[in-house]
Amino acid sequence: MNLSRSSAAILGLVVAGLGQAGCMEFEDPPEVELKTNVADWREEIIYQVLVDRFADGDWGNNFSIYPSAPGKWHGGDWKGLENRLDYLDELGVTTLWISPVVKNVYTDAGFDAYHGYWAQDLTQPAPQFGDLAALQSLVKAAHARNIKVILDIVTNHMGQLFFYDINGNGQADDPLNQSVPGTPNVVKENEYDPTYDVRGVQAETSLGESGLAPIIFAHDPASNHMPPLPEILQNPLAYNRKGRTYNFDDPDQLVRGDFPGGLKDVNTELCPIRDAMVDAYTRWIELTDIDGFRIDTVKHVENGFWRHFTQKVRQRLAAKGKTNFFMFGEAFDGRDPLVGSFTKNGNDAPPPADELAKDNACVTDGVPLTADMLDSVFYFPQQFQVIRDVFRYRGPTSNIQKLWTDRTANYGVTPAQGGAVNAAGQGVSPQKLLVNFLDNHDVPRFLFTGAGMYPEDPIFGTPLALETRRKMLHNALLFLFTEEGIPCVYYGTEQDFQGGNDPGNREDLWTSGYNMEAPTFQRIRRLSEIRRKYPALNKGDLQILWASDRTGPNDPDANVFAFERTGGDAGDSYAIVVINANIEKEGSPEFGGQPMQVGAAPGTVLVDVLNEGGQTYTVTNDGRLSIKLPPSSGAVLVPESQR
Amino acid sequence: MPDVRRPGPEFGPRRSRVHGVPLALLAAALCASPSLAAAQTEPTADPKPAASEGAPPPADAPPAPPTTEAGKPADPPPANDGAEAQRRAEAGDVKPAEPKAEAPKAAEPPPPESGFFLGSYGRVGAATDFRKRPGRDADIVARGSRLDESPYFELDVQRQDYWKTTGATTRAVITLGTSAPLFHYNADFNIRMAVRNLFLQANNIVTKGLSAWVGSRMYRGDDAYLIDYWPLDNLNTMGGGLRYDFANGRTFIAWHAGLNQPRTGFFSQTVTRTPALNQVGATSVNILDRQKFITSLKASHIVKVGETAGVKAVFYGELHDIPSGQRETEVKGTFQTLPADFGYVVGAQFGAFTGRDASHVNLFIRYAGGAAAYGEFGTPFQLAPDRTSAGARELWITLSGNWETGPLGLMAAGYFRSFRDASTGLDYNDVDEGIIMARPHFFLSEWGGVAVEASYQAQQRGVRYQPQAAPGQPIPAPTNDPVMGGLFRIGLVPFLNPAGKGSYSRPQLRLIYLLTHRDEGARSMYPKDDVFSLREWEHFFGVGVEWWFNAQTTYGG
Repeated sequence: MNLSRSSAAILGLVVAGLGQAGCMEFEDPPEVELKTNVADWREEIIYQVLVDRFADGDWGNNFSIYPSAPGKWHGGDWKGLENRLDYLDELGVTTLWISPVVKNVYTDAGFDAYHGYWAQDLTQPAPQFGDLAALQSLVKAAHARNIKVILDIVTNHMGQLFFYDINGNGQADDPLNQSVPGTPNVVKENEYDPTYDVRGVQAETSLGESGLAPIIFAHDPASNHMPPLPEILQNPLAYNRKGRTYNFDDPDQLVRGDFPGGLKDVNTELCPIRDAMVDAYTRWIELTDIDGFRIDTVKHVENGFWRHFTQKVRQRLAAKGKTNFFMFGEAFDGRDPLVGSFTKNGNDAPPPADELAKDNACVTDGVPLTADMLDSVFYFPQQFQVIRDVFRYRGPTSNIQKLWTDRTANYGVTPAQGGAVNAAGQGVSPQKLLVNFLDNHDVPRFLFTGAGMYPEDPIFGTPLALETRRKMLHNALLFLFTEEGIPCVYYGTEQDFQGGNDPGNREDLWTSGYNMEAPTFQRIRRLSEIRRKYPALNKGDLQILWASDRTGPNDPDANVFAFERTGGDAGDSYAIVVINANIEKEGSPEFGGQPMQVGAAPGTVLVDVLNEGGQTYTVTNDGRLSIKLPPSSGAVLVPESQR
Repeated sequence: MPDVRRPGPEFGPRRSRVHGVPLALLAAALCASPSLAAAQTEPTADPKPAASEGAPPPADAPPAPPTTEAGKPADPPPANDGAEAQRRAEAGDVKPAEPKAEAPKAAEPPPPESGFFLGSYGRVGAATDFRKRPGRDADIVARGSRLDESPYFELDVQRQDYWKTTGATTRAVITLGTSAPLFHYNADFNIRMAVRNLFLQANNIVTKGLSAWVGSRMYRGDDAYLIDYWPLDNLNTMGGGLRYDFANGRTFIAWHAGLNQPRTGFFSQTVTRTPALNQVGATSVNILDRQKFITSLKASHIVKVGETAGVKAVFYGELHDIPSGQRETEVKGTFQTLPADFGYVVGAQFGAFTGRDASHVNLFIRYAGGAAAYGEFGTPFQLAPDRTSAGARELWITLSGNWETGPLGLMAAGYFRSFRDASTGLDYNDVDEGIIMARPHFFLSEWGGVAVEASYQAQQRGVRYQPQAAPGQPIPAPTNDPVMGGLFRIGLVPFLNPAGKGSYSRPQLRLIYLLTHRDEGARSMYPKDDVFSLREWEHFFGVGVEWWFNAQTTYGG
């Protein structure tokens, strides 16, 4: 044996082996360089994703999945989402809104936290979705495709992490039998989710009440019912401890009651809690360079918190180089003034001086708070009054006009300082930044065969055919992609998912095969192209051209709506959108023989850029435009010169 | 302890702050080892058998000590008193000892002894941590010191027969293994027992030097005694094998094929169904029932160096095959396909021995890919997107040796291991680790002496550590790099050797004191409230004993 040769061979093997083994290091540092990735949020098209339901890219994090049950983990993760970015690219969306990333209670009362809204640890990623590196990789890959990312966060409550020891026996009783003094009745209560009490949940024995019930944090690592983090949230004072809200019209219940389901209401009025929330969630941006927050349950938190949270987040991120950070809130409510109240910045509706002074008592960095709050909100009133009532229920299009007319009063006109801006760096009014949507994870999908989708008796009639409903959906999508604000598409819409209420509306996208030839996928892709191509459709000011109270079979403009967009930050770009939401008859924006008056100059030739054929229409000498649309259809007209 | 890889610590590792010794240094040190093997002197004509191969070892096999489970070493090389070959033959070693070229031709050895033989391996220890708790295994790496291992024993029953008609010899082997806890510790009148061997081997079948075995068997080569591990080959299967020892007595090839089926849902799924033919009740049906097929091939050759010494080279490979299968999903009546999986191992061993005592050195290099990266008893986890173990890999580079002269002995071992699971990206199960360890012996007399064991081990895992924030302070970012922990250990071990001096002389009765320093990274690898997550210094003080008595002289005489 040639020993020197064999030694060399061995050494070569070792070196080759070590090379194959590789070095262990993460691709990105834990804190990434922050950048401003958005020019103007109105140019964005948001796509909302429930991570657990979008794509499974890593079998290694499929802990206890149960894909057949809608209320359980299904296996989707950030890696899967990253693997499918080409699908989103093809669809034409430009911003990805991902469900919460923080570690949750894994499972509770037979349901899993696949949605991410049952936080336990605000400092750690949910292991079912991947690790920090996977999240960073997703954001990095998205940014490489010029897709921005919005993170869903919850500050109002944590998961069901403690119980109220009402009877003092040290265990969570469900049910807890409570006798009603003076009656033979027994009330069954649940120590994890007891009924709201304005004094705070009371301890009680057969001899009567005995003061505030102590709270006991659960300790079950298997289901991750563990004391919350950061550690300040382990202090009982960090919670309002008033029990489950049952009357959302009661302001105290609304703000200080636990969210139904035992989700513990955080006492966001405490200064250390406000700072902790700012720190916990801003940190996720510093770790990933995510571009915005969608904030859950904003109506359940007092305005003072939002002033503190939004302004301190903006200031901290701006100091690290990230501006135009977009924050929009969710208030699941149809009351326009309430929803809009969170967007009243500057002098739109300033709080009383003493209230602002109280808020400022929490400020420790020397930069006082102003009245500013959110950049925008999720436009729930429109979902109820337009998407549901007009496009599903086929109500009059004057609903739209009324809602939009109220917008100037109900929503803020003043941009938040340091908030969302246009490409020139000028603040954009919240009124122009509302996040519009057809459906989401909290409401039935547009195609759901529930109310509104029955032409006759909803019990004994048959629902409209899918083809008919799909046309209605396509028309609603046209409205969504051309109205003022930012369109937001709920995942699965492009695949004609038809799920009903939660969790039926949280289907697995992979069952669709990610079909990019699906008709609604193609519709959204086309609308995305049009919206991006014509500045009028994303940044132009909006003028309603036609709305009608009429819905009758003989009304020429029944369910017809038209508007034009131009000016503002869109310059001369011009577009008219005409929609016929009637599913049975042709429609035209005209009445009494008078077509609609438009802003385009007489003689302007407008071409339909939505439909095949590119039909043209000419503005008459008196500034009117005649157009007739088939049932459930629409058109987008732009000057031929701008085509 | 059973020869399964020890699972790593459960939670929260972080980067080492105290012991900054990078694993690369360890690997580099290991890389330098081949020259040690190459520098050895002449082989002996009558070295130790590698008993754990099952088949009779070549007469000039190196003196690597291990034989059976749990680090039971083969007997230490006996003094080369010239009568060894004869003793072996008399005792029934069916492998003819290699005739010494310069010696006159020996008389034909008598036939192997027939009869029952009884043997045992055992170790017992009782220890405290000086803090009112039991002494506890403190290693963070997969294979660490064996001084703090828990009790384990094997009972070895063998029956050997020489068949005059054919000249063949058969040997039936039954090995029962039992691990802690023991009755006298917890008053639990139960034991956990495993059948570690149940096979029959026939030697000198058809032609001299050819042997075959069938049964359930541990199937191994040489071990690294100090870390209680078989770095190249360590199989547990049911099957059979062939081996051919060449007439030179220094070369063999061995082939084996076997099956196993770890008890996990990856391999089997049993469901209940209504019995056939309209019978009442429920019966079990195996929906998923797939086995892992493993076949191995090994070639070994020894080059004599001088009268007693030699160098040894072993080349080794395995193939693992797992067929596809189906499992029923949580929706009864719907089924999911589990794809076929595949794995392989390539490896080599280079060793040298003096043949005059137990002095030797072995370098092992083993690379496993696919399903084989998870071990022969392992169930693939953290799978690739296609639900296979494609992409998983494991590299082991191990160095082990012993040197004895006069009143001094030095055992040493070390390894570098890099494991990556099949899932993309780093995760907790992705591990780089290693250890370097030395145990010098000072023999004060034939009766015993004092040993010192010193080691450093380090482990890196593919996760970041999240430091906790002080109250009111911002939450810090996670650590930049994958967590890394390390620990130093030094121990003093006075011992008694009733059988006489020698590093491998057993039985050995010990008084053991180990002092361990665990750095911040190592502490972070234990979950909250585990004392190991809190303690920087660790004590282990106790008594221990280890023995091995081989069932018959085929295992080394």
